[in-house]
Amino acid sequence: MIKSFSYLFKEGLKNIWSNRTMSLASVCVLISCLLLTGAAVLFSVNINTAMKSIEGENSIKVYMKENLPVLESIKAGEEIKKLDNIASCEFVPKDEAIEQTMGMLGQEADKSLLAGMTGNDNPLPDAFKISVKDLSKYSQTAEQIKKIDGVSSINNYSDIAAKLTKLDKTVSTAGFWVVLLLAAVSLFIISNTVRVTMFSRRLEINIMKSVGATNWFVRVPFIVEGVVIGILSGLISSGILALMYGRMTKALTSITLFSTVDIGPLIGRITLIFVLAGMVFGALGGMISIGRYLKREGGDIVDW
Amino acid sequence: MIQFKNVSKVYSNGTAALKHINLNIGDGEFVFIVGSSGAGKSTFLKLITCEERPNEGEIIVGKQKLSDIRRSEVPYLRRTMGMVFQDFRLIHKMTVYENIAFAMHVVGASSKEIRKRVPYILGLVNLQDKAGCHPRELSGGEQQRVGLARALANKPKLIIADEPTGNVDPAMSFEIVDLFSEINKRGTTVLMVTHEHSLIKHFKKRVVEIQKGSVVSDRCTWEGGND
Repeated sequence: MIKSFSYLFKEGLKNIWSNRTMSLASVCVLISCLLLTGAAVLFSVNINTAMKSIEGENSIKVYMKENLPVLESIKAGEEIKKLDNIASCEFVPKDEAIEQTMGMLGQEADKSLLAGMTGNDNPLPDAFKISVKDLSKYSQTAEQIKKIDGVSSINNYSDIAAKLTKLDKTVSTAGFWVVLLLAAVSLFIISNTVRVTMFSRRLEINIMKSVGATNWFVRVPFIVEGVVIGILSGLISSGILALMYGRMTKALTSITLFSTVDIGPLIGRITLIFVLAGMVFGALGGMISIGRYLKREGGDIVDW
Repeated sequence: MIQFKNVSKVYSNGTAALKHINLNIGDGEFVFIVGSSGAGKSTFLKLITCEERPNEGEIIVGKQKLSDIRRSEVPYLRRTMGMVFQDFRLIHKMTVYENIAFAMHVVGASSKEIRKRVPYILGLVNLQDKAGCHPRELSGGEQQRVGLARALANKPKLIIADEPTGNVDPAMSFEIVDLFSEINKRGTTVLMVTHEHSLIKHFKKRVVEIQKGSVVSDRCTWEGGND
């Protein structure tokens, strides 16, 4: 068995070279499919990350009533934290708020305009900087916060929240369908490429069967071929993807403020997924297409 | 070696290829199968190799009832037979040596056995010098001898040849049937389908004629009487 397997393995490798035109075609098709799918996934990941960062940056401010004792404010903060949809809740005392405002206006303004607004003359209320877990539930959460004692107002964020939620859903849904569609198209193209390869080699299958080869003996070299072609395609396509993505993001960040996801930490995982996907596609393509010929006998294989 | 007991074969399109065939072929016999195109000769061979199954009757090859054979066992049955085809059916990307070795790899022969047996068989068919050639570099007659060598690789008890001389020139045809005759003298049963009367007349063997799906004659020579 092991003897036969080593022979069949070598045969599979030899076949790649003997049928190099078809092997090259298969590699090219697999690379194209993997690249398209990979590009779609990276695009989706980037959009999602961008969305998350937009959501994170736009924290919601909850303002407390004027002259509310600090202890009361802290108590209200505890109430806010207890709500389901709250991801983080940070207390911003009015002194800190005025300092931040001063900082934003610059050093000169600090001295002249806002000099008399510190201490007891500080017109700003204490506040909480909160972020929510699920932006789509913003309105309900805002209503719950407003009911808490000591809360004066909450900045109106419902419009942006609704828009971001809608965009997030659209991107996720579109990304899912694009990847699914590309995977289906890839499978279709690959199975057709393998079918063409099989068709050109049906005489070989016929000869194998006539000398008493079992179905597995016929199958193994084709599977080895598919797997090797898959590994090769996976490695090449992940290399191309990393190179192209690197160049594109460099160009993009130099002309816009849009920050992209760094592919560096992802490349190992992408290569592994590509190689595995290539292997599975290659082996499955080989097995499915050869099954058609293995069921036939003699001249039927070559349609005599 | 081969027994057909009341065997009939009707294809799914309604064509009755064989009708109630009764035939015995003994161990070590050499039998020519003749008949016009569409007479049922190929179906007869296909039933022996289990490419087709009969609708009726029983076929025994060696000691094996073919009706009892499962699909997964068919390859093992075929390993006991050597098959030679009109169109040679050689793998063109392989050399002559590799084409023969390939048949031995199928049965799991060791490299040592292969290195020993392949040159020996190439000697039997006078192709020692062509071991490294590819089939396309050989004449029709030489290709058919490679086909025969491949059929002999696993020491079969039965050789089935489907018009093996159909694609070679007449002089070479005699040489090829001579080789079959030689192999037969060593104890291998040979079943050969042919259209060439000159061969049948020259090699005085048993001749079974099939017409319209029935055995219409079974003689020792073409001109002779029934057994």
